[in-house]
Amino acid sequence: MKKIYIIGLMACTMAACKTNIEPSKPDKGSADFTRYVAVGNSLTAGFADGSLYKSGQENSYPSILAGQFKLVGGGNFKQPLLPGNFGYPGAKLTLQMVQGACDATSSLAPAYFKGALDTAGSAMSVAQDGPYNNMGVPGIRCIDFLFRGYGMLNPYARRFYVDPAGSRPADEAGVLHPTFFTMWIGANDVLGYATAGGDGSSDPTAKISDPNLFAVAYDTTLSIMRRNGAQGVLINIPDVTAIPFFTTIPANGLTLTQDDAYRLNDAYNNVPGIRFQAGANYFLIADASAPAKFRHIQPGEYILLSLPMDSVKCAGWGTKKPIPANYVLTAGEVANIQTATSAYNQIISRLAQRENLAVVDLNSYLRTLQSGILFNGVAFNTTFVSGGAFSLDGVHLTPRGYALVANQIINTINNRYNATIPQVDVNKYNGVLFP
Amino acid sequence: MKKPLLLIGSVLLSSSIAFGAAFQLNLQGIRQLAMGGTGAAVPWDASTIFYNPAGLSDLGHIQAYASIQALTPRTRWIATPTGAPGDMADANNRTYTPFNVYVGGPIADKSRIGLGVAVYTPFGTGIKWDDNWAGRYSIQEIQLQSIFIQPTISYKVNDIISVGGGFVFATGNIDLRKAVPLQSQAGADGAAELKGNANGVGYNIGLHLNATDWLQFGITYRSGVNMKVNRGYATFTVPSSLSSQFPYTAFKSNVNLPRVVTIGWGFKPTRNLTIQADGNFVGWSSYDSLRFDYETNTASLQDVHTPRRYKNTFAIRLGAHYKINDRFAVMVGGAYDPSPVKDGYLSPELPDANHYTATGGITFKPMRRMTIMGVFEYVFTDKRTGVVMTDNFAGQYQTKIINPGIGVSFDF
Repeated sequence: MKKIYIIGLMACTMAACKTNIEPSKPDKGSADFTRYVAVGNSLTAGFADGSLYKSGQENSYPSILAGQFKLVGGGNFKQPLLPGNFGYPGAKLTLQMVQGACDATSSLAPAYFKGALDTAGSAMSVAQDGPYNNMGVPGIRCIDFLFRGYGMLNPYARRFYVDPAGSRPADEAGVLHPTFFTMWIGANDVLGYATAGGDGSSDPTAKISDPNLFAVAYDTTLSIMRRNGAQGVLINIPDVTAIPFFTTIPANGLTLTQDDAYRLNDAYNNVPGIRFQAGANYFLIADASAPAKFRHIQPGEYILLSLPMDSVKCAGWGTKKPIPANYVLTAGEVANIQTATSAYNQIISRLAQRENLAVVDLNSYLRTLQSGILFNGVAFNTTFVSGGAFSLDGVHLTPRGYALVANQIINTINNRYNATIPQVDVNKYNGVLFP
Repeated sequence: MKKPLLLIGSVLLSSSIAFGAAFQLNLQGIRQLAMGGTGAAVPWDASTIFYNPAGLSDLGHIQAYASIQALTPRTRWIATPTGAPGDMADANNRTYTPFNVYVGGPIADKSRIGLGVAVYTPFGTGIKWDDNWAGRYSIQEIQLQSIFIQPTISYKVNDIISVGGGFVFATGNIDLRKAVPLQSQAGADGAAELKGNANGVGYNIGLHLNATDWLQFGITYRSGVNMKVNRGYATFTVPSSLSSQFPYTAFKSNVNLPRVVTIGWGFKPTRNLTIQADGNFVGWSSYDSLRFDYETNTASLQDVHTPRRYKNTFAIRLGAHYKINDRFAVMVGGAYDPSPVKDGYLSPELPDANHYTATGGITFKPMRRMTIMGVFEYVFTDKRTGVVMTDNFAGQYQTKIINPGIGVSFDF
């Protein structure tokens, strides 16, 4: 018996028994990835779980892309890495067993990391180690790219901008004179408004940017990136109302017993349009334009993930008290967001056409993701936590989510530049981590 | 009031049982394997209990027969259309040892009745990839073993016609492992392991025609065997916050092994040369889907029903036997065994492709009643590129197999 094994193994050292297929060699096509620069906001910086931290930065989509570009002659890719892994300035979210004030038992939910933070040295400027290839700045809007001195207002930008007090972000983005760039800006020009529930009266960054200003800022930044004839791709803006931050709490997520429904109906006896029933109900929301200043939320309107669940459970938000307007996107606010998004995306495609650049249509990819995709045996969708693609803040992506984005960008580059850059194995990166 | 649910969508457990093109191993006799797997038309030895039970009454003596092989497949996966140099994986080398034991022949000298029993391993294969490879959520390791026991009776109607048949009692086991896409805080994957014993019954019948001194025919029908796993066990390792969703549970499953119709032809142009050819119709469409029915279901652990959609195939085999003298004979053969796996169902559990087989062998009679047999089989597949749609896992695969074997028979 042993002899048979030996014969088998000996024979298998012969070439005939060895498989001889090899992966095809990637090709850069007509693009030049010698100096790749990524221009963008938090999504480009690798922001995740409500904060910025080193491992998130290391798994940013530009960093993933740069790894693939290296296979076709791409150069080094430098990022302004933070020293710590628990979040800067604030702690990141992790999944924990959480017991709310009115909960009988604890349940699995995102909560801020409670241990000691490792932020020492995070505020120090690392500009002298630059210039950096990843120019993603969390929080930056498209219109901020023309704001001279913006670097002094944004702690992330201040860390690595060469001249935070005197430069415009558009100038900083061009410092490295890229041969290739990706540009994904503009989401914050509408996201601030959306995450404030459309209630941006007090905070200027919570207003929708004027599309005309947007166009000027985008065009200027793009022209700077293109200065030496650099090639690149533009990434458009997803409709933010499709992300888990807005879709996780269902509008009709209020489940009532018959008794509760009776009691509420008694209480709202004289208010037209307010009616509860056993089973699923639409929450009550504040709406200054409604006759009673509140009403039921309607299908197509969204409750924000920032809604404090303790207030819902302990203080009767959504039933006894309407949910405040800053936790709700009404139909009118949703329309404002979608109108602005489509205006921005038209600007991006117009400029792309003018510059003969390709656009990565992440807006439609988000729709695809919404209906679910499979990658090497793992199912991804836009569902909070279980969907695997969005991180615990419901806005930014997990490393796997960023890798999915990287693959979309690679597809677009391959098509436009006749390149054959390999896709990344998305599952090499982490998704949502469970305790 | 409902808190946003953090349920984990039903984790894909689209596992299956792997049999190489392989279901139809055709490794049940050393001589026959050396002749490309042909053997329905010519009852060479007691292994005819498998190849054509009708041939049993045509043997000269009761014979005891045993053989064993050392089957070593090599399979490689590469990323397509392009990949980094590391975007490939080689399945770990393993050697499998299919074996056969036969005892049988005419119950008395010149008797028309033959009796016999066979123990053989018609299906037994597996594949093991690295635990961290790109396809780990589809499969990490799968092992399948089966043993068929076949008591057989054969009757020689006249000098030309013989018939025979036997019941098949099949027993086997499966063991498969795969990663579960639920990661711990350290980033480690969850794991699933399914283990179970399977049993089934079937039959094997044949007709043998000794048309002339130089021409023989054989027709056999091996029934399908429904291998049922009545009580397997599934073990899941997942992050502790989710462990209640993935209990240790029993499962049921079954696999319909296909029926095989074989038509064989044997021709003796000279006294020492025999040429034979077989055609196997394999009813692969029996393997339409695979179900894992968990005894305990949770929101995250649902029964799994994965389409396989195999198609029927027709394999052709050709072989020749040349008797050098009273002590030595040599054999050579080849076969073409097309893959039953349709495009869109090409999975790393069984990265199947059309098989091409070349074989050769030798027999030696050290004494009158004893024969020692040796065989070498070499198999390679097409380079096949495709995807398994249920997992959206794509790539190109290639398999090569070498399979030396030895056997001994003794006539009483």
